[in-house]
Amino acid sequence: MEILVCVKQVPDDSVKVVLNGSGQPAIDKIAPVANAFDTYALEMAARFKEANGGTITAVSIGPDEFKTSLKNCLAVGADKAYVVTDASYDGSDSLATAYVLSKAVAKIEELEGVKFDIIFCGKETTDSTTALVGPELAEKLGVGVVTCVTELALNGDKIDAKQETEEGYNTIEVAMPAVLTINKPHYDPRYPTMKSKMAARRKQIPTLTSADLGTDASLVGAANSAVKTISLSEPTKKQAGIKINEKTFEETFAKAMAVMTEAKIF
Amino acid sequence: MGYILSDETKDLLADVKKFCDNEVKEQCKAYDVSGEWPKEIYDKAVEMGLSTLEVPKEYGGIGLDRISCAALYEEMAKADAGFFTTMTSSNLALKPVLIAGTEEQKKWACDVLLKGGYASFCLTEPMAGSDAANSKTTAVRDGDEYVINGRKCFITNAPVADFFIVTAMTDKTKGVKGMTAFLVSKDTKGLSTTNHENKMGIRTSTTSDVVFEDMRVPVSSRLGEEGTGFITAMKTLDLSRTFVGVGAVGIMQRAIDEAVAYSKTRITFGKPIGKFEAIQFMIADMEIKCETARQMCVHAIDLMDNGLPFSKESAIAKCYAGDNAVQVALDAIQILGGYGYSREYPVEKLLRDAKIFQIYEGTNQVQRMVISKNVIGKF
Repeated sequence: MEILVCVKQVPDDSVKVVLNGSGQPAIDKIAPVANAFDTYALEMAARFKEANGGTITAVSIGPDEFKTSLKNCLAVGADKAYVVTDASYDGSDSLATAYVLSKAVAKIEELEGVKFDIIFCGKETTDSTTALVGPELAEKLGVGVVTCVTELALNGDKIDAKQETEEGYNTIEVAMPAVLTINKPHYDPRYPTMKSKMAARRKQIPTLTSADLGTDASLVGAANSAVKTISLSEPTKKQAGIKINEKTFEETFAKAMAVMTEAKIF
Repeated sequence: MGYILSDETKDLLADVKKFCDNEVKEQCKAYDVSGEWPKEIYDKAVEMGLSTLEVPKEYGGIGLDRISCAALYEEMAKADAGFFTTMTSSNLALKPVLIAGTEEQKKWACDVLLKGGYASFCLTEPMAGSDAANSKTTAVRDGDEYVINGRKCFITNAPVADFFIVTAMTDKTKGVKGMTAFLVSKDTKGLSTTNHENKMGIRTSTTSDVVFEDMRVPVSSRLGEEGTGFITAMKTLDLSRTFVGVGAVGIMQRAIDEAVAYSKTRITFGKPIGKFEAIQFMIADMEIKCETARQMCVHAIDLMDNGLPFSKESAIAKCYAGDNAVQVALDAIQILGGYGYSREYPVEKLLRDAKIFQIYEGTNQVQRMVISKNVIGKF
């Protein structure tokens, strides 16, 4: 089983982001971390590998510093990692990113002499939150996709994926190769062991550039992206809530009902 | 951090901090009240390799240098000193094996720990604490075996240990030169542990008596030659004392962090108390104590790394850090005022935890004996 996990390095999502003087997110001082949904994807991939065998490769598009996140990936299940770095990719929208990823998939397959059976992505990133790259990557590769997966199992030469929806769950059978975008499962990603972390730090992470991938310069970067960012604004501040904590549960419930009735919620 | 750490260590430290923040710091509050040994936390920590930081590379460990170990231990103590004690105690028991053991013994002990086991160092007895030479535990040679009888007390990790380092008198007439150390597996017939102590602090660490009743061990379980047990134990404690100091530094750092955070939010007379010189100077004094203690630990480690004598410095590091941890915890309580005295806030626990650092692995009076002996010499 050949598995690829796409990982993006994002600003630590536990830190509140504000806009700087020029209207851009002030993220310089926020520690970069692997996107949380990508860490879920890697954990699910690692468990899948442990159950079914195989090799996990992690890939990231971004500057060389993204190797930090990739080294963490190598400590918690990934066997190999690549970073795709090229200034011409800066500012790419999700479609352009998916295009670059599709070319990276082909290049890594060529370099490693393998064909990926499953490509795991987080369902979205915690910075731009578009949730588009996974499905767009599947489109570029011409393979099936299941989004918001929380569980998966091998079923012969297919995958049974449990997809979380607004209403409940769908169980979807998908042929391999396929792209899966991963939602938060019922477990947390494992911690690296001291040993795996030290070993990961010593592993080499090759860098791929636009020359290696052979990407079309007219399809990448901010200027060639279909989505243009006109302006950014901070989310409106939430109003302070009301804390209801009466002596008994019944009293608390009655008070909550009264407050909501008065506010004409019902 | 006062240590100059490599990028690799900083990376490991970030992982340990994340683990401690997510899995230890808050969770230990409830275990501090119940006194229960939090097995589920320890299972995760052991799997992460936090209990085997000092296993040498040639025996399957990660070969971490002492400064890096100290940095990671400080982070553990910052989260919970009982957690730190549990994690470091197996390494304490491993030291005599590495000092005096055969290749076979070293491999065996390291394997046990790397497979997730625990170990205990059994020196203290009901009537032989600081006066370790007054040991009543005896080991009598009988053919290819020794028959050990006696009782050890206040033994960290004993109820969960997979092996024990036991000191016993093989020749009482020779005093400390009649003491011998043994490496004993938990499955040995005649070995038992009692209920764990209901302690004032480090309540997430389990401690009990270990009893030997006609316990027969093969001669091959002896660590080094007969009569070398006391020297081995003293060499062990010389090495480990610095790391006890590191634990006390962790408590001090936590006390400072809690006091600073509180001083920024607590308003009196119209402004945060951290704006008042009275509080600022207290925090400065806490920082002076913490940072000087940390640097003393670093200095002792530096001497160890360079193969220089470190016995006095290790004793100073332990004694100074332990004494100051108690004072810094008291200061944190004072800054938090009534809230500091409340068990709802984390600083009163720091005081209870800090106290043991003046007692275990040689009381601070014993440390002063070591230091003065080094300074004054024989005359």
